[in-house]
Amino acid sequence: MISLDTHLPIILIATPILLASLMVLLRKQPGIQKILSVSVSFVMFIVSILLLLQVWSGGIQVYEVGEWGKYGIMLVADLLSSGMVVLTSFVSFLALIYSLDYIEEKSLSASYYPLFSLLVAGLNGSFLTGDIFNLFVFFEILLLSSCGLVIANEKGGVTKSSDKMEATFKYLVLNMLSSIVMLIAVASLYATTGTLNMADISVKLSAMSAAGTLPWYVFAIALMFVVVFGNKAAIFPLHYWLPDVHPTAPSPISAMLSGVLIKVGAYGMLRVFFLIFIDTLYIFKPVIIYLALATIVVGAISAVAQTDVKRLLAYSSVSQIGYVFLGIGFGSVYGLTAALVYLVNHAFAKSMLFLTSGGIIHHAGTRDMRKMGGMVDSAPLMSMMFLVGAMSIAGLPPMGGFIAKFQLFDAGITEKYYFEIAIALIFAVFTLFYMFRAMLLMFWGEKRDVNEHGEYSTHGTSPLIALPIIMLALGVVVFGLYAEPLIAFANATANQILDPQLYIDAVMTRVVR
Amino acid sequence: MNNTLLSLTIAILFGIGTFLILRRDIVRVIIGLGVLSHAVNLLIVSTGVFAGTKVPIITDDGGHGAAEATGTIFTDSLSQGILAPVLAAGNHVDFVDPLVQALVLTAIVISLATTAFILILAYRIYEEYGTTDIKELRRLWG
Repeated sequence: MISLDTHLPIILIATPILLASLMVLLRKQPGIQKILSVSVSFVMFIVSILLLLQVWSGGIQVYEVGEWGKYGIMLVADLLSSGMVVLTSFVSFLALIYSLDYIEEKSLSASYYPLFSLLVAGLNGSFLTGDIFNLFVFFEILLLSSCGLVIANEKGGVTKSSDKMEATFKYLVLNMLSSIVMLIAVASLYATTGTLNMADISVKLSAMSAAGTLPWYVFAIALMFVVVFGNKAAIFPLHYWLPDVHPTAPSPISAMLSGVLIKVGAYGMLRVFFLIFIDTLYIFKPVIIYLALATIVVGAISAVAQTDVKRLLAYSSVSQIGYVFLGIGFGSVYGLTAALVYLVNHAFAKSMLFLTSGGIIHHAGTRDMRKMGGMVDSAPLMSMMFLVGAMSIAGLPPMGGFIAKFQLFDAGITEKYYFEIAIALIFAVFTLFYMFRAMLLMFWGEKRDVNEHGEYSTHGTSPLIALPIIMLALGVVVFGLYAEPLIAFANATANQILDPQLYIDAVMTRVVR
Repeated sequence: MNNTLLSLTIAILFGIGTFLILRRDIVRVIIGLGVLSHAVNLLIVSTGVFAGTKVPIITDDGGHGAAEATGTIFTDSLSQGILAPVLAAGNHVDFVDPLVQALVLTAIVISLATTAFILILAYRIYEEYGTTDIKELRRLWG
């Protein structure tokens, strides 16, 4: 009898991959597919919580795949990665429930479940891996599976498939370029240090730095990683693919993409810069801060002008990820705590808003906000939930977004970044403006029955669509009213990130067998 | 990377790839991505032991007694400035670094998968619009 609790990290990656191949075989039995994938997703959520508890009580967990010691591929679960895995599992479980009623039957049974499992495997893998080349491999799994999922059709054909294909083409080309850049960076790191293990690279680079022989091109490699993770997270000069891809994807996939997938960029930035390139951070802190500010400004200004509800939410994601990167750029314990709290709150609120927008689009029969109106009477649940999400994104109490923004601005003021905080504050007001403009257009005013002569056939709200939205809304409100556990957890995580020695000690004690 | 000709080849391939991905035709963009990914594959191979006798790693030529290696592939000694997984200087190396070959195989397979996906996507776009010109595909601009 193998004890399972020492194998939790690999279970989180292997199960979805196995499930994906099983789902391909079961494509003729949609009933079994639905039950199996939702229940496995729930089990994965439980397993991820178990892993988090294990890390919380027992310190950083290291799993050696193939027992090659530090020279093989390792999975490392610290508080940051296991926390991100819990977030991924929760959002993906809810998105799967939502898609039972939302995605068209034909694409649901053909390719949806295998690709969704692969997406989850890619997310868990890129959070848990301790090997920088493996991070690249999981990024590619993420990229390909999310491309396939963007093309999946929802009921009623809300988005033209030609639009989806153009958006996917753009997404694929830009992300292939960024993976080429990432390969160049990984190859250069290997040529410099002769290892791919992140903890090992960190040890060797800091030894070089202590000896004063840190080569100049380490800074160039670090800049390449800024480009790669910036592209994943869609920060300012690299965000042009996001406002096309996230709106054209079906709503549960938009929720996964905007809620969790762009956080991979923030995770990679935290992992790579606070573990490996910690000696170059004094140059890159201002770079990250000013890119984040530009992201906030560009995203907020573009969101104001949108008429398509999902496009507005996508531009809002661009703006919000800027706040996360602002916290990362401060680089202090308080700043990182704020960034993590912000990240979790944004994941909940934005996933919820995208799921809600799916319900709204199907209710109104159009994506154009100018053609909607008076939905507070005809769709009370959706309008209430949109209000909860909009208040959280705009940072109004008592929602989680208020706590997150408060922490972030307080961290910035403590660190004396007054000018940066002033800009972020001005564009936080923009958030309020575009969110409530959307509220005004969609829910208030004269009631218009676009339902009957809309361009799309409709699909009403079912309990399976309402349930995930309500659960995420509960999360948003709970994080706002009872935020202490989340803040305490984020604080512990930030302390762990800023002390890379813990990570190195956990990994580097391994020997070759 | 001690081979000038190899470096030059990689540089020229990067140049051709960059030129091609800036074209207006999406088929040329895809060919450009293929050329770029093969340039990267060459770069990865070139970071390993290429000639079969030398290690591509920062070695300490100052003579700290780096030759007292145990002979295994996993020797590294931070105090002596050896950052390598391979052999210390002075030992004869008969084999090529196996890790870069594993890396480049993975990279080739992944670029095959993405290229196959993007070719099918380009074909469907051509079916839908009857053109492969980026200027006529509105969403690729905005």
